Amino acid sequence: MKSDLTKAFADYAKDLNQASRDENIQKAMSRAVKSYRATTDETMRRFPHTPELAAEVREIKTQAIQNNAALLREAMASVERNKGKAFYARDAEEALRLALEIIGRGKVVVKGKSMLGEELHLREYLEDHGNEVWETDLGEFILQLKKERPMHILSPAIHVPREQVADIFSKFFQKEVPPDIAAEVGAVREFLREKYFSADVGISGANVVAADTGAMVIIENEGNVRLSTGAPPVHLLMVGVEKIVPTFQEAMKVAEVTWRYAQYGVPGYVNIISGPSKTGDIEKVTTYGAHGPKEFYVIFVDNGRSLMAGDERFSQALHCLRCGGCMYECPVFQVTAGHFGHTYLGGIGAIWTAFVSGGLDVAAPLLYTCLRCGRCVERCPMRINVPGMVGELRKMLIYGESLPGEDLPEAAIAGGVGFEHAPV
Amino acid sequence: MAVENKLPPVLDLIRGNIVKYGNPLALKGSEVAAWAKGLKLPKEGDVLFYTGGEYQLLPFIDSLVKTMTHIDQGSKSFSLMMGVRNILDKAGLNAEKIYASVLAKDRERFNSVCYKAAFVLQQLGYDLAYAGDEELYSGALLYELGFGEDLKEYAPKVRRMIEKTRAKTVVCLSPHAAEVLKLVYPKMLPGFSVEVRTFVELVWERRNKLPAISSPAVVIHDSCRLARELEVDEEIRDILTGTGVPVREAQRNRQWTTCCGGPGKLLFPELSHVMGSRRVAELEETGAETILTSCPYCLAALAGGQEKGDKTAVEDLIEFLFRGYAA
Repeated sequence: MKSDLTKAFADYAKDLNQASRDENIQKAMSRAVKSYRATTDETMRRFPHTPELAAEVREIKTQAIQNNAALLREAMASVERNKGKAFYARDAEEALRLALEIIGRGKVVVKGKSMLGEELHLREYLEDHGNEVWETDLGEFILQLKKERPMHILSPAIHVPREQVADIFSKFFQKEVPPDIAAEVGAVREFLREKYFSADVGISGANVVAADTGAMVIIENEGNVRLSTGAPPVHLLMVGVEKIVPTFQEAMKVAEVTWRYAQYGVPGYVNIISGPSKTGDIEKVTTYGAHGPKEFYVIFVDNGRSLMAGDERFSQALHCLRCGGCMYECPVFQVTAGHFGHTYLGGIGAIWTAFVSGGLDVAAPLLYTCLRCGRCVERCPMRINVPGMVGELRKMLIYGESLPGEDLPEAAIAGGVGFEHAPV
Repeated sequence: MAVENKLPPVLDLIRGNIVKYGNPLALKGSEVAAWAKGLKLPKEGDVLFYTGGEYQLLPFIDSLVKTMTHIDQGSKSFSLMMGVRNILDKAGLNAEKIYASVLAKDRERFNSVCYKAAFVLQQLGYDLAYAGDEELYSGALLYELGFGEDLKEYAPKVRRMIEKTRAKTVVCLSPHAAEVLKLVYPKMLPGFSVEVRTFVELVWERRNKLPAISSPAVVIHDSCRLARELEVDEEIRDILTGTGVPVREAQRNRQWTTCCGGPGKLLFPELSHVMGSRRVAELEETGAETILTSCPYCLAALAGGQEKGDKTAVEDLIEFLFRGYAA
């Protein structure tokens, strides 16, 4: 098989060059980098135990990825014990099909920010199947209206200044929204409030999952996840299988390290959700759907992750907590934002692109954009060796090797290669 | 399923040149070794002075990049140009001749870096051996660009070149060469046990012998490879402070140093230039008049990243230390 990537490289180079000349991106990125570094320095001084905790989490994640198959079984059993419904999706197609079966058509859906959602093109898929879907994270909401993809995993609309937001909102809300951030936030708040309480389904991701309890931990600041997962009668949570750790205690450690490196001393909200809403207040009879959702569904998504886990050269990419710290330190990202990326961004994003979101061809230009300078590793709480993995994937491209598992017959993949997934 | 991926042709150009000519841009051994003519360095000895031809090829890289910046690498004219190059190769001409006339001034400067490095080390009392026109490039770019299998075949040639000199220690001018010889070769070549050091480390050991240098404040641009992979950073500061030079620190330095953008130069020259300029700006924020680095690619990328009329000087540590003797 032949694959000509020269045009992809040329187009991509043009895109990067254009981004590096975009004043909005430059302004936003230099502000963001400065503030990230200042806040993180200050936060680390306030919580000096963080690096040590990160080292502990590295070990937790390493073990958890090695034992992922068992942890997945345990987590699914815990969800079921908590009266939720747990599913395993082998690939994107299966994940989307399951989601659609749960949600149905003609529904109103409110959705929290989720990289997995981006990976699956979840919103677009549900919309194409007759649903009204609203992104509730402010940045994602802006991009939904702008029909663009996120430019940073934590601050997706990092490249859009307030003046542009005002224009977009004024058009959409069909009323004058001034280029004043508080007014802009207020306009969205008013609009989405109504959606939360009329929605049929709320969708969220999760930052970490505790297998022992089935507790799903979701970190946020806006409060949109609280509302999306609390107000509608159905909560669908979709999460990558790599997010599972053995215990609740360990999940808390992972969560703290995640938000600390995402520049927060403590986030506004940490949601812990383990099952549907219930009450036993009348005659001690457990009844579901008290104030929160009556139904709680979890889809654990593999979509290439087990292939990554099964190859010792790449399994550490699954340790990524998605704190976003590396991106602020990446010299390429600093001038191009998410243009250095596909769905997943920056150097680590190139690895994820190859395995779960696009394949080696799509990842090729990203792999060669990485300078292999290694500053991301300095910042990364998991010390993920991105330059090393980039080198390995470049080798595969050059010598025409397939990604691990690509050569395997369907049946082997269905059974799980890196993980031994028991069908549920 | 094996796939044949067609990647930008510049990658294979570099690979082919290294494998075929022992140099990323097909420079001839005599050209690479021209700087050493007057020094009469022996071909055998305990300490092998290793340039890897890297400073010598800098002006040619820039010239190749300038050509590429104007030609879309996916376009027909680019493949045509590469085709022309190949034809010229067969006729006994190489890239060197195509570019030679353009940058004589730079050529002289970068060639003299090698001379200056050897001179400084000799003054510090090191007896140096040099492989001369037999010297081969380390293969670092094969490693960095993903030609690992080619490196496996190429590395034994470099090993033979080194072992022929009977050196116990190889002193590398380029941190890229030091990285690949020190950290990659031992994994590929069982029994490869020569000690690999950088120019900076050898100078540091005998820094007390350095002459004083009178200079306004300098700022150090730590090279990524040197600061992160090889963990050499404090040594440069010690050396400079010892010679009486005031050192200013950039906000991002040592293991947090900002990449000069150099590695992106071949495939994304414009972006690479933007990153180089930004790094120069970070370094200039310190108010230092001279930017010092210890890596050929950083040197070229930072010099290229300067604005026209920029008053700061970008120098290699080697050039700067040599000034102490010239004064």
